[in-house]
Amino acid sequence: MEIGEGLMMLGKYLGAGLAMGIGAIGPGLGEGRVGASAMEAMARQPEMIGTLTTRMILADAIAETTGIYSLVIAFMILLVV
Amino acid sequence: MKINLTKSDKIFLGSILGGYIAVLIYVLTTGYKFKLEGVGQRWIFQLPFGEGALSRVNPMTIFMTWAIMALIVYLVTRVKVFEVIPGKKQSLLEAILEYVYDLVKDSVNRKEFVRPIFNIAAALFIFILASNIIGSLPGVSAIPVEGGGFKITVLSDTWYAPTSDLNMNLMLAGFVFVMSHAFAIKAKGFKRWIKSFFEPVWWMFPMNVIGEIAKPVSHALRLFGNIMGGGILMLIIGYLVKYFVAPVFLWGVFGLFFGAIQALIFTILAIAYISSLIE
Repeated sequence: MEIGEGLMMLGKYLGAGLAMGIGAIGPGLGEGRVGASAMEAMARQPEMIGTLTTRMILADAIAETTGIYSLVIAFMILLVV
Repeated sequence: MKINLTKSDKIFLGSILGGYIAVLIYVLTTGYKFKLEGVGQRWIFQLPFGEGALSRVNPMTIFMTWAIMALIVYLVTRVKVFEVIPGKKQSLLEAILEYVYDLVKDSVNRKEFVRPIFNIAAALFIFILASNIIGSLPGVSAIPVEGGGFKITVLSDTWYAPTSDLNMNLMLAGFVFVMSHAFAIKAKGFKRWIKSFFEPVWWMFPMNVIGEIAKPVSHALRLFGNIMGGGILMLIIGYLVKYFVAPVFLWGVFGLFFGAIQALIFTILAIAYISSLIE
């Protein structure tokens, strides 16, 4: 294997790992906040659990968007290019 | 819970099980090898003219889009009369549409726009839901091979979901973008619509334009990333366990659950984008 090819592989794997790892921090924090607030609200008003759960899942799915972006970028780096 | 199956149901489920076993035997005997290179690739067809921007098409996207539209139109024309006392299927349809109608009614406060926005939102929701669910069922798909051409896979991969193609999602998001500004012009009048770009002060104009353009881009990329990322994850995890049992649950989670949630989110955001502009 030539040294250029090796450097390219190094860059690919490092880049994909960094993209996914750093990109997962934000959505993790965001979804944690959503879950914590939903739990608090559920404990305060147990009769609203049904509504709160649907809203919580919706907010989770919106918060995880940036994580999904970095997942796609990591896949593109690894498999497509 | 007791499940009653009619004879045709049993034949249907039995034929699916038989098909799975046949594919399993076929895969085991022919030594199917799976390579991770080329997972994200699509079958792209080069039209005979030119090399420009509109000279290439994705045939699978076009086939599956028309197939899903034909399926929906067929199901709609099958309905003869809506009954006063609804049956099972009619109750399901009414529940879905009523949920979307309530969403629209809660977020749009101009009464004359509720009906047209509901039509757009319900059409988007049904189409995206159908295509995401089809993307979770095992079926026929075509993948490219090296040196041109393509290979057809039967039952070892899911149907090709048209929403896992970015072009489709950009089209849907662009449609929502154009419709939201058309509604804005109709609701506010042309002058106030132009003026809304120069608020709160005139030098915020570039910021407002960037904000408007970022909406359809993030709208499209959210759906694309979820559906395509889910598809690739399914393939890779299924490969790790050699297609043993786990893909069924992955298809269930990524296809049905995330697919339904993403269809709902796309619809809710479309309603929010439209209703935020007409106020």
